[in-house]
Amino acid sequence: MPNLTINGHAVEVPPGTNLIEAARKIGVEIPHYCYHPGLSIAGQCRLCMVDIEKTPRPTIACNTPAVDGMVVLTETDRVKETRKSIMEFHLINHPLDCPVCDQAGECWLQIYYMQHGLYDPRMRDEKVHKPKAVPLGPHVMLDAERCILCSRCVRFCDEVTRTGELGIFDRGDHSEIGLFPGTELANKYSGNVVDICPVGALTDRDFRFAVRVWYLERATSICPGCARGCNIEVHVNRRRPHHNEGRRVARLKPRFNADVNRWWICDAGRYGFAFVDDKTRLLAPSRREDGAVSDATWEEAIGAVAGALRRFAPDEIGVVASPKMANEDLWALRRVLEQRGIRRVAFRVPPREPGDEDTVLIRGDKNPNSRGAELLGLDGDGAAILAAARARVVKCLWVFGHDLLQCAWDAAETDAALRAVPLLIFTGTNANATSERAHWVLPAATWVEREGTYTNFEGRVQRFRAAVEPLGQALPEWDILGRVLQALGVEVSAPRAERWFRELAGAVPVFAGLTYQSIGDGGAKLP
Amino acid sequence: MRGQDGTDAATRASTPVAFSVEQLAEVHRLQGLYPDRRAALLPVLHLAQETFGYVSLEVEAYVAALFDLTPAHVHEVVTFYTLFFRAPKGRHIVAVCHNLSCHLAGAPMIVAHLRRRLGIDVGETTDDGRVTLQSVECLCACEHAPMMQVDDRYEFGLTPEKVDRILEGLR
Ligand code: SF4
Ligand code: SF4
Ligand code: FES
Repeated sequence: MPNLTINGHAVEVPPGTNLIEAARKIGVEIPHYCYHPGLSIAGQCRLCMVDIEKTPRPTIACNTPAVDGMVVLTETDRVKETRKSIMEFHLINHPLDCPVCDQAGECWLQIYYMQHGLYDPRMRDEKVHKPKAVPLGPHVMLDAERCILCSRCVRFCDEVTRTGELGIFDRGDHSEIGLFPGTELANKYSGNVVDICPVGALTDRDFRFAVRVWYLERATSICPGCARGCNIEVHVNRRRPHHNEGRRVARLKPRFNADVNRWWICDAGRYGFAFVDDKTRLLAPSRREDGAVSDATWEEAIGAVAGALRRFAPDEIGVVASPKMANEDLWALRRVLEQRGIRRVAFRVPPREPGDEDTVLIRGDKNPNSRGAELLGLDGDGAAILAAARARVVKCLWVFGHDLLQCAWDAAETDAALRAVPLLIFTGTNANATSERAHWVLPAATWVEREGTYTNFEGRVQRFRAAVEPLGQALPEWDILGRVLQALGVEVSAPRAERWFRELAGAVPVFAGLTYQSIGDGGAKLP
Repeated sequence: MRGQDGTDAATRASTPVAFSVEQLAEVHRLQGLYPDRRAALLPVLHLAQETFGYVSLEVEAYVAALFDLTPAHVHEVVTFYTLFFRAPKGRHIVAVCHNLSCHLAGAPMIVAHLRRRLGIDVGETTDDGRVTLQSVECLCACEHAPMMQVDDRYEFGLTPEKVDRILEGLR
């Protein structure tokens, strides 16, 4: 392993580590634009210059592997002068339109100008003008004047998605990022180019002008869009609600996890959060009697559900849980089922169309926690439960989240089942055709409104945290189920998600030893 | 007049874009010469330009397929170099040097004269398809300034009269 000295500190790194990463190891940040650890080296921006002893001139750090005995200096006068000049070059034709640029506040031109630029601009000539606000595809907007031609977006499309839509056209100061005429940037991961674009050249059409980034608050989370469980950050706008038409969740951003999603997320996951602030959210418990729907209190709703679980014989009760529920919810559900001896439980409801899948991240199973539901022993035969309802054997059906009328099961048969059951209970975040048929509706919090854990398809348990309060009176499923359990006479202490996880880890051997602390932000793989 | 940019739909439709069997063999030979076959892109694009008259978007896509590249990456190469024509060009190319020596020796006057005589601007082609006019960087013949290149020929010591005589000879 090469041993080198950076700014007087010794550091040992694996062979092949470049100087940017080596410096990062001891907390030294070498400014750079084009280098990205997930992409090939381009050496395009020249900002990462450092001095290396016995080298006559500053050298780019991104393309220089650490070598034994190397002595690197990142803050010599010569390096500082070089950086300053390079910043001046990068900004020569830049329109300086930060006040109307959506990147402002998280732009590496702004940040590095303040850290390494601070020169008096000498550009007197007319700047070269290029196209502005050009939609490249459904999600990405290009402002070619702000582009510094780092080529990160080009390399992303070449190397990660291998779709190669983007190129750098023309030459010299007329060079410009673009698409082959007549094509668009519509691959399944297109939003990532916005994340890796260090400047305001590529912005997100969904997020653009919704809210200034410095008003955002963030929570670490997990994408619930498929069984991969990509690590994300949820960015919410609580301080300026009027800026975003009441949309509290402003955007989702990928969060690095070497073992799950590296730096990326797919577009389906990135833009899949609209349901959180949607008009179809269920806001209060409600009952439907003789076709009339009226709001109820939680006490009434919990009382009604617990009463039904007592009233019906265990064999007359069927539960369709959901692989979108967290481990905590599923465990609380299992406690309820065990308490009453209910055996008819399932969680898989096959979708009409099989989910798309690829070799990058996207999984065909569009649920974040099928594995968790499996491990918690809830994998029964859902179709059989519905058949039993049709046959009037099951008299009380409790459905979590699913729209049973929109799945691969025969809609007429499902309809007959829903018609036949005397009591249909629905717990979920948003209204659907199934919830509209329910006698009792218990509104659940969405994943950004609560905490919990999902187990991804590889058996990695990952934590997500609350970014906002639940809308209306919605509650996390574990809380609803805990209240039901309490109403059934079981003492439930400390109503917190963590409590359920602790209980689960104590009871299910494969989860043994796991705690919220040990899972942390990186997740923990089950044995 | 046809501009440098934007392809002419009619021309595109009328020229089938496909190399002959012999040309394809040449493409493979060229690709085999380099460790990375992408390096053969320039000679193949020249071959395409000779064959199809100019490098339309359709030609770019065709060449891209021969290299397993996306059209965007061929477009990068074609737009980088000035010697690829992206719109139909004239039967003759008149390229006047506008770099320092020629400029001082009267190149702007020569260009103005050519524009007047041909009735077109720099970068355009006469309606009869006879001449495409260009203004280019140094052609390494400063000692003969002002100069221009007409097809494969250098013409030195230009005056309006000499330019007229040269134009006469272009059919
Ligand atoms: S658009 Fe952004 S990522 Fe792409 S080359 Fe320009 S600055 Fe780099
Ligand atoms: S791959 Fe799956 S988990 Fe990852 S962002 Fe897409 S939908 Fe979400
Ligand atoms: S980061 Fe090294 S040249 Fe851009």
